[in-house]
Amino acid sequence: MSAPASASAPAAPLAVRRYRAEPAWVPWVFLAPFLLTFGVFLIWPLVQSVVLACQQTFGPKSTAWVGFANFSFLLHDPLFWKAVRNTALFAAGSVFLQLPVSLGLALLLNRPGLRGRTIFRLIFFAPSLVGLVFVGLLFSLIFAPRTGLVNTVLNDFFPAFDPEFPWLQVYVMPALILAALWLYAGFNMVYFLAALQGVPEELMEAAALDGAGAWHRFRHIVLPEILPVGTFVVLMSLLGSLQLFELPYILLNGPGADNRGLTIVMYLYDNGFVTGDLGYASAVGWVLALVMGSFAFAQRWFNKRQEES
Amino acid sequence: MSAPSRLRAFFAVTTPAVWVLLALALGAAGLIAARPGARSTGMSHWLFAKGHVAVYTPVFAKWNAEQPTEATRIESLLIDGPALERRMLSAFMSGTPVADIVETERSMACRAFTGPLEDVGFVDLTDLLKAEGLMDKINAPSFAPWTSRGRIFGLPHDVHPVMLAYRADLVEAAGIDLSKVETWAEFFQAMRPLMADGDGDGRPDRYLLNFWPNNRDLMELLLLQAGGGLFDADERVAIATERNAFVLANLATWCAGPGRVTVDAPDFTAAGNTLRLRGVVVAALMPDWLAGIWKLDMPDLGGKLRLMPLPAWEKGGRRTSVVGGTMLGITKASKDFETAWALAKRLYLDPEVHAAFFKRTTIIPPFKSSWEHPAFAAPDPFFGGQPSGTLFISQAADVPMRPASPYNLPALARVNEVLIALAERAAREGISDPEVLLPDARARLAGAQQRVEKMISRNVFLRETPPAR
Amino acid sequence: MSLTNAQRQKLLLFPVYVALTAAGIFTLIPFAWLVCAAFKTNADIFAFNFLPLGDGFLGVDWGRLTLLNFFRLFRELGIGVALTNSIFLAATSALLATFCCSLAGYALAKFRFAGRGLVMSLVLAALVVPGSLLLAPGYKLLYDLGLLNSFAGLILPGLTPAFGVFLFRQAMVNAVPATLIESARIDGAGEFRIYFTIVLPLVRPMIGAYLMITFLGTWNNFIGPQIVLQDPQSFPLSVAINQLRGLYGTDYGLIMSGTLVSIAPVLALFLLLQKEFIAGLTSGAVKG
Repeated sequence: MSAPASASAPAAPLAVRRYRAEPAWVPWVFLAPFLLTFGVFLIWPLVQSVVLACQQTFGPKSTAWVGFANFSFLLHDPLFWKAVRNTALFAAGSVFLQLPVSLGLALLLNRPGLRGRTIFRLIFFAPSLVGLVFVGLLFSLIFAPRTGLVNTVLNDFFPAFDPEFPWLQVYVMPALILAALWLYAGFNMVYFLAALQGVPEELMEAAALDGAGAWHRFRHIVLPEILPVGTFVVLMSLLGSLQLFELPYILLNGPGADNRGLTIVMYLYDNGFVTGDLGYASAVGWVLALVMGSFAFAQRWFNKRQEES
Repeated sequence: MSAPSRLRAFFAVTTPAVWVLLALALGAAGLIAARPGARSTGMSHWLFAKGHVAVYTPVFAKWNAEQPTEATRIESLLIDGPALERRMLSAFMSGTPVADIVETERSMACRAFTGPLEDVGFVDLTDLLKAEGLMDKINAPSFAPWTSRGRIFGLPHDVHPVMLAYRADLVEAAGIDLSKVETWAEFFQAMRPLMADGDGDGRPDRYLLNFWPNNRDLMELLLLQAGGGLFDADERVAIATERNAFVLANLATWCAGPGRVTVDAPDFTAAGNTLRLRGVVVAALMPDWLAGIWKLDMPDLGGKLRLMPLPAWEKGGRRTSVVGGTMLGITKASKDFETAWALAKRLYLDPEVHAAFFKRTTIIPPFKSSWEHPAFAAPDPFFGGQPSGTLFISQAADVPMRPASPYNLPALARVNEVLIALAERAAREGISDPEVLLPDARARLAGAQQRVEKMISRNVFLRETPPAR
Repeated sequence: MSLTNAQRQKLLLFPVYVALTAAGIFTLIPFAWLVCAAFKTNADIFAFNFLPLGDGFLGVDWGRLTLLNFFRLFRELGIGVALTNSIFLAATSALLATFCCSLAGYALAKFRFAGRGLVMSLVLAALVVPGSLLLAPGYKLLYDLGLLNSFAGLILPGLTPAFGVFLFRQAMVNAVPATLIESARIDGAGEFRIYFTIVLPLVRPMIGAYLMITFLGTWNNFIGPQIVLQDPQSFPLSVAINQLRGLYGTDYGLIMSGTLVSIAPVLALFLLLQKEFIAGLTSGAVKG
């Protein structure tokens, strides 16, 4: 926009001489690493995965065209639906147990006049630094029957509690949800805490003077303010839950008894990298991507509607 | 600006973390670059069983001393089982590096048979085994797990007959006589008194057998003992059989409901071993290899255990079974098949190695002429002086066949789901009579059969290469 | 009146402290258990939940604690190799990704050029592609490129995550005034010089945060190295420690000390960067 001006505007020769336009190549150079990796490691595999999803393979070398057979087998495979059910259960646990805990912690930490906020925040956040692999290792011992921390402590306090309580054999999902609660509650708390900082204090004080109860203040002042962040956190934990793999894989050393810890991504992994059917794995990947995409779409739609109203 | 402040300004441009990470990255890169390029020019061997290492080390040392050049010397590497499986399959499917000879377990090896026959990463040894007359010298059931579509892809390492090991100290203290016991029903009947609740916590202090519905291997073991199983001799699915239904209905009542006699004490876990050491488990299904592992992991049990043939399902029935299994395969990627084959024979066919192996691991070889070796008749202090070798060998001929299929694991998983469902029902409805569960077992097994058949029919690679029979 | 008000305030805060402390203890217990187990013999792990009791200081038998687990880990099992690999992979990935993402983010935030809208929508589209969809075709791609079983096969695909580009663009749109860049150009500064001396210092918190995000992500990545790397010499801790469990599953002390070695460096880095990290983490959600 400045180039034609410099050619034909004698009125401002000084400015033109001193003003150096941004060279057109610069942004492209800066974008080069992104565009390159984007093309090679995202676009190309995506295109490939469409082809792969219609093939049966034994490793990357042996392939055979099967059309939509992968999808039709997948959608009729009770094992896949079991994985879907487990994953959905975990996602529900994350949203309905973990997020309220996170919000609760954030509300507690946000109390005016509280001391030691930084240290509490540090403590609650620390577990989320531990990778899922290591959490799996740790909790596989914590949940062990008879010798694990959970069962020994519960049995010490309540002798009626079965020291053989089969967390990792039968109560797999509660065990996973508890481990995830420990892991992520502090992480999501940080988001809520940041959002709560945006709640205008005068408004809260005014409401308190008007005699509004705590619930009323939360419902009508706090909640609308943190709703956008809230839907973002719900979406993030939904998308994360849908891709659950390492935690049950390490915790149970595989899908577990009766596939009680089988998740969608574990199903994908087992098919793609253990039996070598990268084609089938791609088909599973596409189904998962569609589900995740629709959740993301729903969140955007919801936020837009909120803004409009 | 002075030089130091310039320097400070340079570093202050961004967060100190950048410089910390840069130093870490460069330091680590230096350490990685300084590593000796370990890639040797000789032969390589992978194994997953920790207990085998001590036996092979002197064999390899002797071999290496005999070799004139580096090229035929061997280096052995111990790898965690699932990792070995992954590396091996990755090599077969994607050409990543792999050892010349690979020792692998039954459940890993059958994965290699999923694709087209020509894509199996192991060299087909069938003709060589026949030419060298090895087929007759090796206990026949030992070949079954390494055979796909009629071709044999490995040299068998073992027989793995199963006996019952029980805590003689506890059994004798309770005044129980097991010498007349022939069947499972008699066994549990005789052992019942041991399930008393001495400490008054409302639960039995001891359980009679180590078995749990989620333990697929032990479930398969008991199915095979009874003459059931997953596949027939032609590698066709044979899940929905009356025999399987009978066994599963019984197993469900063993571990759930008012008639529960078993406990979950998984092997290879500290929790399971603790239960064994505390005497919570009175008896265990004991393949020869597990005896060796117990000796290492739980020396405190020494002298307290005795072996007996498995109780049969019916009077006169089979008194043993089979579980686990290892083979040595030569990979197609090997540069030097002749040397690999010579090495394989040195490791697997030498009676002295067999004897050394037995002393270390209590595992008996499938090579029949080695069974005469005096090492196998020696009294075994871990089992109170019983000759464990002779006892296991006496069961070898009766070990059931178990045809290999790449779908062994999914099939086993489907059948296991049936058992878990039956056990849950037994627990929920308080069922102790297997007859009640039988119709349910039949129906569920029929469903499992259908699912496995459907899964196999999906595999176009197996379809293209029908069994070479 | 004001005194009672302050007292009332304090009294109201008391249950808050109780609740927070209880939650804090629950959070810390697994860590405490881990640390205690790492320094105990296997017999003591089963005998005591936390520290072995005895008649030493604070009623703890300190003499029973041992460094043997760590000794075995480093001397016998060579876990130092995996530690080096993890440090290399995580530090290199973090630096490269931060550099490349900040470059791309800068271009999108502060330059006007034909195609900018298209690139920006590519970035947003890439955000919603799940990683697990790319596992199978990505593996095939690495096979075709000959990058299987190499560090490059892990580092290159994560060179410029769209998420990072997005974060840096968001940060730079507000934090970097256009006039500052223009006047630097007028002074004759080169484009890279502007980027290094003016732009980067202004987004310093975001750099700290993103370094931490990528370091953490790479350090804790399991499925990637599990699929790509096949040579034990190149395994990072996540894969190596898990394999340790296969071979030494009954040795709780060894597994626990290995887990401790794996999470301690990350906790240390977090302490160094925690303020910037948390600020950067939330900026994407709160502003965007």
